[in-house]
Amino acid sequence: MKLNINGTEKEVNVEESMPLLWVLRDELNMTGTKYGCGVSYCGACSVMIDGIATRTCTLPVSAVVGKEITTIEGVSNDGNLTAVQRAWIQHQVPQCGYCQSGQILAAEALLDEIPEPTDSDIDAKMTNICRCGTYQRVRDAIHSAAKMRMQEAELLD
Amino acid sequence: MGKWTRRAFIGTGGVLATGLVVGVAGNMYVSKAIKKYTGKGMGDGESLNAWIRIAPDNTITLAVARAEMGQGVYTSIPQLIAEELEVDMSRIKVVHPQPESPYANTFMMTQKEPNAFKGYNLMEKMLAFLPIIATGGSSSIPDAFTNMRTAGATAREMLKEAAAKEWGVKRSDCRAEDGYIINNSNGAKLSYGELATAARTVEIKDLPELKSKADWTLIGKPVQRIDLPEKVNGQAEFGIDVRLENMLFAAIRHSSTIGGKIISIDNQSDIENRKGVKKVVLTEFGAAVIADNTWRAKNAALALQVTEDDGGNAGINSADISKAFDKILESPPLAISEDEGDVDAILKGEGIIESTYEVPYLAHAAMEPLNCTVLVEDDKATAWVGHQGSSFVHSTLNAVSQIPKENIIVNTTLLGGAFGRRGEIDFVAKATAVAMTMKGTPVQTVFTREEDMQNDMYRPAAKSKFRAKVNDDGDIEAWDNMMALQSVSKSVTTRVAPAIAPSAEADEATSEGAAHLPYSMNNRKVSFGDYASPIPVGFWRSVGSSQNAFFTECFLDECAHAVGKDPFAFRRDKLNDHPRFKAVLEKVAEISNWGNVGENTYQGIALHKSFGSIVGQVAQITKVGEKQFSIDQFYSAIDCGNYVNPDTVEAQIEGGIVFGLSAALYGEITWSDGAVNEMNFPQYDMVKMNVSPRVQVHIMDVDEYPGGVGEPGTPPAAPALANAIFAATGERLRSLPLKNHGYSFI
Ligand code: FES
Ligand code: FES
Repeated sequence: MKLNINGTEKEVNVEESMPLLWVLRDELNMTGTKYGCGVSYCGACSVMIDGIATRTCTLPVSAVVGKEITTIEGVSNDGNLTAVQRAWIQHQVPQCGYCQSGQILAAEALLDEIPEPTDSDIDAKMTNICRCGTYQRVRDAIHSAAKMRMQEAELLD
Repeated sequence: MGKWTRRAFIGTGGVLATGLVVGVAGNMYVSKAIKKYTGKGMGDGESLNAWIRIAPDNTITLAVARAEMGQGVYTSIPQLIAEELEVDMSRIKVVHPQPESPYANTFMMTQKEPNAFKGYNLMEKMLAFLPIIATGGSSSIPDAFTNMRTAGATAREMLKEAAAKEWGVKRSDCRAEDGYIINNSNGAKLSYGELATAARTVEIKDLPELKSKADWTLIGKPVQRIDLPEKVNGQAEFGIDVRLENMLFAAIRHSSTIGGKIISIDNQSDIENRKGVKKVVLTEFGAAVIADNTWRAKNAALALQVTEDDGGNAGINSADISKAFDKILESPPLAISEDEGDVDAILKGEGIIESTYEVPYLAHAAMEPLNCTVLVEDDKATAWVGHQGSSFVHSTLNAVSQIPKENIIVNTTLLGGAFGRRGEIDFVAKATAVAMTMKGTPVQTVFTREEDMQNDMYRPAAKSKFRAKVNDDGDIEAWDNMMALQSVSKSVTTRVAPAIAPSAEADEATSEGAAHLPYSMNNRKVSFGDYASPIPVGFWRSVGSSQNAFFTECFLDECAHAVGKDPFAFRRDKLNDHPRFKAVLEKVAEISNWGNVGENTYQGIALHKSFGSIVGQVAQITKVGEKQFSIDQFYSAIDCGNYVNPDTVEAQIEGGIVFGLSAALYGEITWSDGAVNEMNFPQYDMVKMNVSPRVQVHIMDVDEYPGGVGEPGTPPAAPALANAIFAATGERLRSLPLKNHGYSFI
């Protein structure tokens, strides 16, 4: 199977039913995407598939052939952190950090869909578990990232 | 239990010892290693002492031997060193050293909580096993506060001495500034990198004096975390992310009853024929499948057909546990921790307030499932693991593999949460036993979320029966608290060091936070009955305080309401002998605007000291439906003495509250026929974004020795919330989780 991951084509030779999570982690050694629950509940394994935040621990790899897969390793452009990543540092969001790849992917997807999310948008869309309890900072960082993105878009206009 | 489970896994002193005295309390290890260090803890290359290496290009590498599990210790300990070393934080890199004696955490073993029981003190017993290199008990900063500043100051003086020699002047004619030593007389300067080699051989006779608080430029400042850049781009390496050449992955199949045993595997060859499976092994702790991919390994482990021995524990059921507690509460206590005045004489006749509180077992459920990677070679063993005790990992590898201690390497990675679970050695022992069957090949053993949740060392269930009398002025005439608890210390020592297991003593770890409350009371008694059970229990963020704060602070609220007093004023009036407690309580009332809230909004208050720090919290909730609330806001004041990084303190309080709320709202591990019913997060749920409150933290400005901050934020959360719900509904919730009372939260 050929996969398009972060703009690069990768060839993998695995069962069609193997979840994308384990293809990334154990076949391609891309360990930024995390295993938390394995039952599509916690969000630690989130990546973007054609721009939509998707949990990969129950997603058969065969379902993503021909789609654009973006993982935490590929969200930034040439090493330049995205607004979300910068806001995460500015608000010192991560504690242990284990859930944060998934949180960041979910936040990127949220802001792509809703550039200026309200608190209730965030409540509805950010359903990832953080056992360290960083939710307040995740929320504040999303609001900051939204502002940064809009300012950057204005500069580009 | 198998034979390896009877070994003393916590090991004896002298882990890779560098000729230092073993068995001496205090910071002997540290003060010696500061002056002369010959170990290899920081790996190859020359260092100034056990903590500091400066390269010719001026890069500064610091050894931090405390586990980074989210509490920010890879930043806060460097802040202490850099404060005295006079260097900018941006130049610092952190390495996690090998478990050598200079890195021992002696504070963890020697601290004494004044509000603890007079009984069995596990930490004190652990002194026999020094040096222990471990992270827990919110002890990293209290342990490091003097030691690491001294390490930094001594290295600075060594650099000054080297420069002074070079210039032919006295050390006192030089000063250190931002990575340079400057000659006071002519302004000449040499960088630390230029001086480091010469400085290594300098011996400083007297430990230098430390800066006074007024001169601090880094301590007490919100320095950015060193470990965050790699935590936002996927590069951070947790134990589960370790990838090595030719590495294989193993999944474990534990017995289905706790303490049971898998006797045989009945379809071994079928499973070994599955794609990617290399080997199926049966060890003393259970079966394991070794494969080339975690997913293949875990599916194969699930497909194993096994014959089990239930270990005699198939009769464990949650309903019976609660009844056993009731029996203990009606029996004479095992120990009396506190007995002032004559409680029994007062608690007679009319006007007695009586209530019983209860909490269930809880899982740790760190976000990163348990895992450990081990490579066993002929006469060498290497581990890669996120663990709270690198010396425990070291002695466990030695105990299981029988490979000599000096040939064992422990690589400590980042930890994806720990909360006490990653101080246990079971997963290290299992991973080592698996790797022993694959010599020459590194094997990463991973628990699935289900195996992690169902094979935990749980926060024990507990029940407490209170009786009190309060007079019309609001004075507590008598306070009686009889607790039924399962001893954490007994369970832990039975697993890892049977020689020091308590017999029939009250356990300080489980009962901490229940006795010696700061409130004035005319007569008081706190006693303890022991619930003996084969259910393995362990240290869980804030340990005994995790339930005892809920019990005592809710019952205190009952006492206030029984005589029509405001819960804040009722507490405040009893704190005249404890000004630090009183100041925290008054501060949290002030920032929460206590008592002045809008319609449909309610507040609850709680105050608790644990791990050297006093925390007051107010929960503010809004009623949105029948038995349905929004937890809008938590206010928290903390007195942790001198603090190192205020942003980290705030983060720990924010996270500690969410951790306490997850337990209060949903947390419950239940037992049926010797097995845990909850399997994964859908059954053992967590507070998520939509329920999580906003948190406002106030750090008190107190010039006292630092207390811990990782745990103290958790205990007051549940009682503050339950007290707020009482204010809203008049319903007193005396057991957790609150979902069992029909309450829901949005
Ligand atoms: S690991 Fe996929 S949602 Fe939890
Ligand atoms: S930062 Fe630890 S789980 Fe989210």
